[in-house]
Amino acid sequence: MHELSLALEVCRIAEEVLEREGGRSIRAIGVEVGDDAGIEVESFRFCLEALVSEPPFVGGSAQLLPGVGSALRLAYVEVDDGRPDN
Amino acid sequence: MAVRTIEVRERVMARNDGFAADVRRVLTDAGVTAFNLVSSPGSGKTLLLERTLEALGEELGIAVVTGDVQTQNDADRLARHTDRLVQAVVTGGACHLDARQITDALHAIDLERTHLLFIENVGNLVCPASWDLGEAAKIVLFSVTEGEDKPLKYPKMFRMAEYAVLNKVDLLPYLDFDVSLAVANAREVNPELRFFFTSARTGEGLDPWFDFLRQQVRVAAVP
Repeated sequence: MHELSLALEVCRIAEEVLEREGGRSIRAIGVEVGDDAGIEVESFRFCLEALVSEPPFVGGSAQLLPGVGSALRLAYVEVDDGRPDN
Repeated sequence: MAVRTIEVRERVMARNDGFAADVRRVLTDAGVTAFNLVSSPGSGKTLLLERTLEALGEELGIAVVTGDVQTQNDADRLARHTDRLVQAVVTGGACHLDARQITDALHAIDLERTHLLFIENVGNLVCPASWDLGEAAKIVLFSVTEGEDKPLKYPKMFRMAEYAVLNKVDLLPYLDFDVSLAVANAREVNPELRFFFTSARTGEGLDPWFDFLRQQVRVAAVP
């Protein structure tokens, strides 16, 4: 439950970034998780993967990155502009 | 498709911590000391608060916010000991309180009549450690029926707390619980931890706890 509420907050921040950047969808996110973040990593990954399978997420990729100490941060968001490649 | 990677590096707890900062500012301005009471289920948080309300309720303005996954049982128990509002937050399954819920609860509390605010968190020694509620300090309870290694099993909670209450000491004659080992384990993860040894049931050890609360209120009083 704790992991789900944190995963929801990650997705909320990612959607803010999407809106700010004027993108159409999110292809991937990366989240830094420290050893002392108080998170069960596999449960957190499970929650994130479930959430990024729904729009505005497309492609369903959530990468967990090693962080320092209690770090828990949304590290990056891959935003798709929805425009064709040049 | 044009895919761009945006570097964000935003802390996931940032929004909660913003609410917590607001709560802390409001409470500090009002001269209210807030303690976030955390423990595993059944350690005696509610009974300790009942005894505290009985002993200090008329002397100090004490408000309580209780968090429970389901039911208002704790709030109902506490309300019998005070004419002041006891705010119940039913988390509906969530394993902790967050600072937004405390912000909402504060709206219903008369802070001008309040010196001391207890936030009785959801019984859980894991998740509440990560959530700042705007409190002055976390107080972790554990009891002599739980094993001396609780601090080692849940180090983050004992590290985040400034005070520890070892409760149910009236049961020590019937148990093999080693108090000095429990304290040593707690101080291994947090050398600064200050202890109280209580039986909320019999009243043993509650006077130092009450004196501590009186002192905290004096320190926080708005001049």
